[in-house]
Amino acid sequence: MTDKIDKHVLKNGMVLLGEPMEAVGSVAFGFMLPAGAALLPDGCCGAGSVIAEWISRGAGDRNSRQLGDVLDGLGLARSRSVGSSHITVGAALEAGNLAQALDLYADIILKPSLQEDQFELARQLAIDGVLSLDDDPRQKVMLKLREQFYPGPLGRSPVGEIAELKALTAEKTKQIIKDNFNLSQTIFSVAGKYDFDAVCQQIERLFESERQENAGQASLGSKAGKYTHLDNDGAQVHIGLMTGTVKPTDEDYYNARVAVSVLSGGMSARLFTKVREERGLCYAIGARYHALKEAAGIMCYAGTTPDKAQETLDVIIQQFNELGDGISEEEIQRAKVGLESSLILSSESSSSRAGSIAGDYYMLGRVRSLDEIKGKIEATGVDSALAFLRGNKFKDFTVVTIGPKQVTVK
Amino acid sequence: MEFKKEQLDNGLCLIGEVNKSAKSAAMGFFVKTGSRDESGQVNGVSHFLEHMLFKGTDKLSALQVNEAFDRTGAQFNAGTSEEYTVYYAAVLPEYLLDVTGLWIELMRPALRDDDFNIEKNVIKEEIAMYKDMPSFDVMDQCRSLHFDGHPCGNSVLGSEESIDNLKSEQMRDYFTRRYAPNNMVLACVGNFNWEQICSFAANSCSKWRRQAVERKLEHYDGSKKKKRAEKSNLAREHICLMSSGLSAQDPRRFAASLLGIIVGDSVGSRFFWELVDKALAEAATMQFGPMDGTGAFCSYIRCSADNVAQVLDTVSGIFQSLSRDGITEDELRKAKNKVLSSLVIKNELPMGRLGDLGSNWLYLEKYRTVEDDISAIKAVTIEDVNVLIGQFKPGDFTQLSIGPGEKNG
Repeated sequence: MTDKIDKHVLKNGMVLLGEPMEAVGSVAFGFMLPAGAALLPDGCCGAGSVIAEWISRGAGDRNSRQLGDVLDGLGLARSRSVGSSHITVGAALEAGNLAQALDLYADIILKPSLQEDQFELARQLAIDGVLSLDDDPRQKVMLKLREQFYPGPLGRSPVGEIAELKALTAEKTKQIIKDNFNLSQTIFSVAGKYDFDAVCQQIERLFESERQENAGQASLGSKAGKYTHLDNDGAQVHIGLMTGTVKPTDEDYYNARVAVSVLSGGMSARLFTKVREERGLCYAIGARYHALKEAAGIMCYAGTTPDKAQETLDVIIQQFNELGDGISEEEIQRAKVGLESSLILSSESSSSRAGSIAGDYYMLGRVRSLDEIKGKIEATGVDSALAFLRGNKFKDFTVVTIGPKQVTVK
Repeated sequence: MEFKKEQLDNGLCLIGEVNKSAKSAAMGFFVKTGSRDESGQVNGVSHFLEHMLFKGTDKLSALQVNEAFDRTGAQFNAGTSEEYTVYYAAVLPEYLLDVTGLWIELMRPALRDDDFNIEKNVIKEEIAMYKDMPSFDVMDQCRSLHFDGHPCGNSVLGSEESIDNLKSEQMRDYFTRRYAPNNMVLACVGNFNWEQICSFAANSCSKWRRQAVERKLEHYDGSKKKKRAEKSNLAREHICLMSSGLSAQDPRRFAASLLGIIVGDSVGSRFFWELVDKALAEAATMQFGPMDGTGAFCSYIRCSADNVAQVLDTVSGIFQSLSRDGITEDELRKAKNKVLSSLVIKNELPMGRLGDLGSNWLYLEKYRTVEDDISAIKAVTIEDVNVLIGQFKPGDFTQLSIGPGEKNG
C-alpha cells in the first residue's frame, strides 16, 4: 500500500476521496449522504431505514426487479447503513465492474423511482425491523443506551419508532429525501484497485450540480435518564453502560483510545480479566470507544444471568473508576501494540479503508495517514494516559438494562 | 502464492501458503473434533475444552497466556463447530513465530480443576446468551430435530445439565483421544518464512503422541419432522428448515452452494423476491452446509406470527417450481458472479484465506488454490444444479419454529 490519499472536490462541494491499494483486485466504494437519524425532522424516527430501502426499489429506467438483477449480475456485495449523521450506500466488487456500478448508484441516489406501492413495502420492512429488536435484546440495549446517553436527537434510533413509522407518508419521505440528499455535503470514497482520474470524471459527469445550502445542524436537547430498565423474561440481563470522553478532534484523543484499550483491548485487558476470567460472571463483556462529531463516549456491554447482574455492574464501574489510579508500562505497551496492529490488519481490506477515509474526512475535515495514526499512538505513554484520566474522571454513567431483573446504579 | 507442506512422523500436518506481498500473516490449528464426536454423557466437551486451552499450561497461567497474545497485537480466537475446533491468530508478519509458538504450547494444556470449575460458569453464561438469541436457538434446535439421533445433531454448547454433570477427568480423557497430532493440521497463510515456522513446529510438536482416532461417517437424509415451540417473551416467528445435502468431499458441492445462493441469498434470490421484497418476511435465507460425509441445506426465516401460513405456502411454491422447472441460465450466471466476487474479496486477506486452506486439508487432505475453486464454480452447469434438486428434494424438509403465543406454525 502507498499510504497516499486521492482527493478531488466537485464545484458543488461534493468530496471525492480515494486510497489506492496495490495488492488487491477488488474495489470498495461508499456514498455518505447527510440523511442520518439525527438530521431527520422530529416525528419521523426510522425514516432513514425506509429511505435506504425505498431508493433501491427501482431507479433510473429500471424497476425494482431490474435494478436488483443488474446489481447482482455485477457480483456486487452491497452494503448500506443508517447512522446518526449519514445514510451510507455502497458496495465491494471486482475492480473491472466499478464504472457500471457507479452508474447504477448514481441512479439510486439521484433518480430513485419512489413508487407509492414500493413505499408501503419499504415501510413495512422498517416496522418489522423495530419489532424484531424485541427478539435481539443485545442489540436493543445498545440502541437504547445511545438514545439515553447522547443529547437528543444525536442518539435517536436509526432503526425507528413504531408509532412514527406508522404515521410516515410517502409524500413526507420524498420531502426528506429532497431536503437531505444534499450533494454539497456528500462524501464519496473509494479504496482498492481503481483509476482516480477516471472515477473523478465519471462522478463529475453524474453528480455535478448547483451548490446547495447547508441544511444546518440539529439543535441539541438534554440527555435522558441515568438508568433505564426494560423488562424482558429472557435468560440474561443485558447491561449497557456509557460514559463521556473526548472527541476525535481533541488533543487527548489518542490517550483516550489507549486508556479504553487498557480497559478492554485484548483478553488480558482489565474488564475481561476481572469480570470474566477471575469471577466467571459473563461470557460477553467488552467496552469500546464510540464517537459522533458532536460528542463521544466509552460504550460497554455485558450479558449475565439475573443473579449475577448487580455484581457484574459493580465490578465494571469499579474498573472504570480505578483506571486512573495506576497503569503499568506493560499494560500500556500491550494496548499500543493492539491498536497499531488492528490498524494495519484492517488496512488490507478495501471496504474497511473506504469506510475509514470517509469517516475521517467527516469527523476531522481531512484524512489521517496510517503513519500519522501510528506516530500518535506511539507518542502516548503511562504518564500521558494517567494525566488524561485524572483530568477527565469518569463520573456520570448512563446505564440501560434489558432482562428479568433490575440493577441498582449507585 | 506458493504452497508448502510437511508431515511429521507423528502424523501432524504442517501446511502453508506463502504470499510475500501481504502485510500480515495468519495461522491456525485445525483439530478434527467437534460435537459430532461426543457421546451423550459428555455433550459440550469439545467447546468447553476450546475454552480451557486458553487457561494455560503447566508453565503458563491464564493471565500470562492472555498477556502473551496481547503483546503480539494478535487478533486471535477459537471456535468449535459440529465438525471441528479451530484456534487462530492474525498478526503482523514479525509476530507470526511468537504467536505460533504460543498456540503450540497451548495445544498441550494443563486442564486444571480450579480453572475448569470457574470456566463452567462462563460456559453456562454462553448457553444463556444464546437462549436470548432466537435466530441462533431455532437453528440449533432444528439441527437436532433434523439429525434426530445422528451425531451431527449434537449441540455444540451442550445443555446446562450436561455441562453441570461434566467432570474434568472426562475432559482430560477426551483431550488425549482427540487432540492427537494425526488428527490436527497447522496452517499458515500470508507473509511469513516457511522454513522458520516449519523447523520450529517440527521441534516443538514431535513429542506429541499419535493416537488411534476415528469419526463415524454416515450420510443421513434427515427426519423431516415438523415441530413448533412457544416462548412467551418473543415478538416474531423464527423458522428453520433443513433438508438433506451432499458432503464436503463431494465434487458437486460447488453446484450445491450455487443452489443455496439462487434460492436463499440475502438479496436477489427466490426467497428474497418472493418473501422479503414483498415484506412477507423480514429475513429469509438459505445456505448449503457441507459436512464430513454428509451435508444439509439450511434456511432461516423471520416474520410476524400472522404471516406464517402465507410464508410457508410461498416457500412450498418456490420449492415446487424449482423441482418442476429447474433454475434459469440467468439465475445461475448471477449466482456465479456473486460467489466469485465474494471469493476474491475474502481471499485478499490472509485471515480470510486461512479458513478455506485449513478446512480443505481436513476434509480433502488436498491443497486447492483459489483459482481451482474459481474454475470449479465457473464449470457448474444448469443440469448440474437441476440434477441436485431432483436428487435432494429441498422442499422435503425438517421444520422447527419458535414463536410467541398460540399459533399453529
